[in-house]
Amino acid sequence: MIKSRIGLIAAASLAFMMPAISLAEVELVRAYCSGCHHESSPGQFDRISAVRKTPEGWTMTLFRMHQVHGLNLPEDVRDQIVHHLSDAQGLAPSEAATGRFALERRPNVKDIDLGAETNAMCGRCHSIARSALQRRDADEWLKLAHMHLGQWPSLEYQASSRDRPWWTIASTQMPSQLAAQWGLSSVAWTQWKNTPHRSLEGRWVLTSHAAGGLDYYGTMTVKKEPDGSYRAQYELHDSAGSVVHGTSHALVYTGYEWRGTADFDGFPVREVYATNEDGSRLSGRWFDANHPEAGGDTVAIREETSTTILAVSPRALKVGYVGPVTLVGTGLDRSNVATFGPGISVGRVVHGSGTMTVDVRVEDTADVGAHTVTAGAATSTVSVYRRIDSLSISPEFAIARLGGGKTPSVSAQFEALGSIRLPDGTLFPIGPVAATWSTAPFDEEAKKQDDVRFAGSVDEHGQFHPAGAGPNKEREFSGNNVGNLKVIASATESEGAKADAHLIVTVQRWNNTPIY
Amino acid sequence: MRTILRLAGIGFGVLLGMMSQSAIARDLLVTAAKPDKLYVIDAKARKIVGDFHIAGANNHITTVVPSPDGKVAYVLVNRMETIVGIQLKTGREVFRANLSSPGERVKDFFAFTVTPNGKELIAYELPTRLGSSEYQVEEPRFVVFNTKGGTHAKPIRTFPAPRRIGVMLARPNGRSFYAIGFDLYEYNLKTGALMGSRGVMNWQQPAHGQPDLLAFWPVTEPSGAFSSPIYSEIQKDGAGDAVTALMTLDLKTGDLTYRDFEQTTALIFSTVLAPDRKFAYGTYTTLTKVDVAAGKLAKRVNNDHTYYSINIASDGSEVYAGGAMCDIAIYDAGTLDKKGDIELPGCADQALATLRVVHSR
Repeated sequence: MIKSRIGLIAAASLAFMMPAISLAEVELVRAYCSGCHHESSPGQFDRISAVRKTPEGWTMTLFRMHQVHGLNLPEDVRDQIVHHLSDAQGLAPSEAATGRFALERRPNVKDIDLGAETNAMCGRCHSIARSALQRRDADEWLKLAHMHLGQWPSLEYQASSRDRPWWTIASTQMPSQLAAQWGLSSVAWTQWKNTPHRSLEGRWVLTSHAAGGLDYYGTMTVKKEPDGSYRAQYELHDSAGSVVHGTSHALVYTGYEWRGTADFDGFPVREVYATNEDGSRLSGRWFDANHPEAGGDTVAIREETSTTILAVSPRALKVGYVGPVTLVGTGLDRSNVATFGPGISVGRVVHGSGTMTVDVRVEDTADVGAHTVTAGAATSTVSVYRRIDSLSISPEFAIARLGGGKTPSVSAQFEALGSIRLPDGTLFPIGPVAATWSTAPFDEEAKKQDDVRFAGSVDEHGQFHPAGAGPNKEREFSGNNVGNLKVIASATESEGAKADAHLIVTVQRWNNTPIY
Repeated sequence: MRTILRLAGIGFGVLLGMMSQSAIARDLLVTAAKPDKLYVIDAKARKIVGDFHIAGANNHITTVVPSPDGKVAYVLVNRMETIVGIQLKTGREVFRANLSSPGERVKDFFAFTVTPNGKELIAYELPTRLGSSEYQVEEPRFVVFNTKGGTHAKPIRTFPAPRRIGVMLARPNGRSFYAIGFDLYEYNLKTGALMGSRGVMNWQQPAHGQPDLLAFWPVTEPSGAFSSPIYSEIQKDGAGDAVTALMTLDLKTGDLTYRDFEQTTALIFSTVLAPDRKFAYGTYTTLTKVDVAAGKLAKRVNNDHTYYSINIASDGSEVYAGGAMCDIAIYDAGTLDKKGDIELPGCADQALATLRVVHSR
């Protein structure tokens, strides 16, 4: 009933307000939202004006208005409303920091811990980060609780809910608790909103690492479009020596939230980056547009930054190594000399765009461990090792999901991290190292159910690819291809350095929301 | 046209069946399936004798409650907002109650029951007031309908109810009904007065932790008692051992029992008691037979796949497992050997539907 009513209002607004696209953005809210969200005073709309959220948060709200209440917005109007609300009622960088991992869609991250009760009350259905990325006062948190139970009546009956008076807790205790932690007004937001934000135009030097894959480095040239969006041109190299070209079209919300739709040599990528508060650094995560769990981390700094080494590639050098080492950073062209500490001799230096590549030889006399790298006034480190003494896997615990039908699988990416034993006996980490990968049953039940055979396989880059979903007649109870596995890595260079991680291969998640 | 002919054929088949076996009582299995189906199956003949459409089911079917005379099945459909009564012989709709109304959305979370005289249907309502820009969760209530209220039935009585009810069971005395949620409550049918409550979550079993009951299948045939698995932990040396108990509730005497029968090694969704109540049978991924008096697992076999809802022949000879997917598996109640399968047409998905046994002439 309400759906058809809202639908009618939306349709009427649409017919009447078509030219509204050119109106100021608050006019769009008035035109498309005020049919239900009463404008109690100029520019103040019931519910809407009492909340602050991230761009993803506002996008999810508008999706719900469409899906549940039948609101039909033209795509460009929806984008303008999200942009307006994110700018006018967003989160300051410091406020978004704790939940950034959810915006970046990082897989296998431990959620924010608010204690057992709140974790169960909220975090058993969605990440606590989703709550942490919103700001409301107590009355508005209470209205959100009403929306939750009104929309999803099964809430009270689910595990970790039916063991307690969920609605009593949600409607009495939670609103004030959440408001005390995440209230509507804040000094950080007032300050951020009143601070002019730096344009992101210009050249940036960047480095990026894809877990289980390669390092990328090079430059990013950013130009502002007349509509306020940005276009970026990437000129990169990967650590295997190939040239990679990319372009991105990005919207920047709230003065610092970069959301890019990119293409790297035909590979579609999404970028969720943020600048630091003075706009001198851009960092975040990119991911496969079709598989958000697969991606990498990027850090970029403005080219005009004083001499800085952002990354050294490779990060670890074996004793006896003869070959190039690339320093990535800014101001490196002002220096023709780089040093790597005792035992590493330096040869030819070649300058590139945002790089300085130096031929080195790691002598037998070089100490293992960290070596200071210098180029002009900038310093960094590189590791030297003889053999890998110990291995660990990141993450130690991961979840993969079966795929099928319209729901794609969710892979799990592991990375082998090497350590060496220093003369004083301590272990010293040297970063990602090459490994061979395999799986094994995690326990007796997994062995009995032959999970290794059914659940999927791990490739030579440490990426686990889950099997297809659905009842499998070959399994007990015609069970799904779920599994409880050990993922085992053996260091390629050093026999005996082994590690294992725990992988649960489970069923699909049906609603893949922008904030999990 | 083909559908009409097919339905006509079934109707004719039912008629033939009634003529040839008019004096012989038989078990009819009644189940529902997505998107909008009610099926009636002759258990012994392993044959579908009723294949009926439920209007406005909205691809969502859950609880099935037969009338005490076995002539009508009441089915909760339309995302828990509508209860429809369908005549089992003809498929004709004889009752419909739309729980929601303009401005108020109402969900009945699985729970409703019919009085022993068949005259009243009591449903559980979780209402939400739909404002223009906000929802308001309202207090739950029981609503009573006259089953002769037709296809636009309106409540004739309304009482306050606790939150989180999942099962309702009318008592044979015709004066009260049980509602199971946080605890087991008994209400006066006429006045709605709370007559008493006994522990479910607050069950006070020595050495046991807080129990977990997820019961959505209000099966009481053929024994006249409701039963359900209920899970908890026994604390030992600082660690908890998961145990499964059987909960039984005799509707006539009101006797409520909890008895552990195993350290939890398999999940069970629903159970049913044999006519003599010596054994209970449970289903999920396995078919489980419990020796009720001894409080022991008697036997367990693997199911071919998951079944949520279980029932048993009126004579206790065979066990039926339904729900979850599109077939009903039949087992020998003594040996648990599988005796057969009845697949629903077009592999219709029973999901959370209750599998009922109607002993009918």
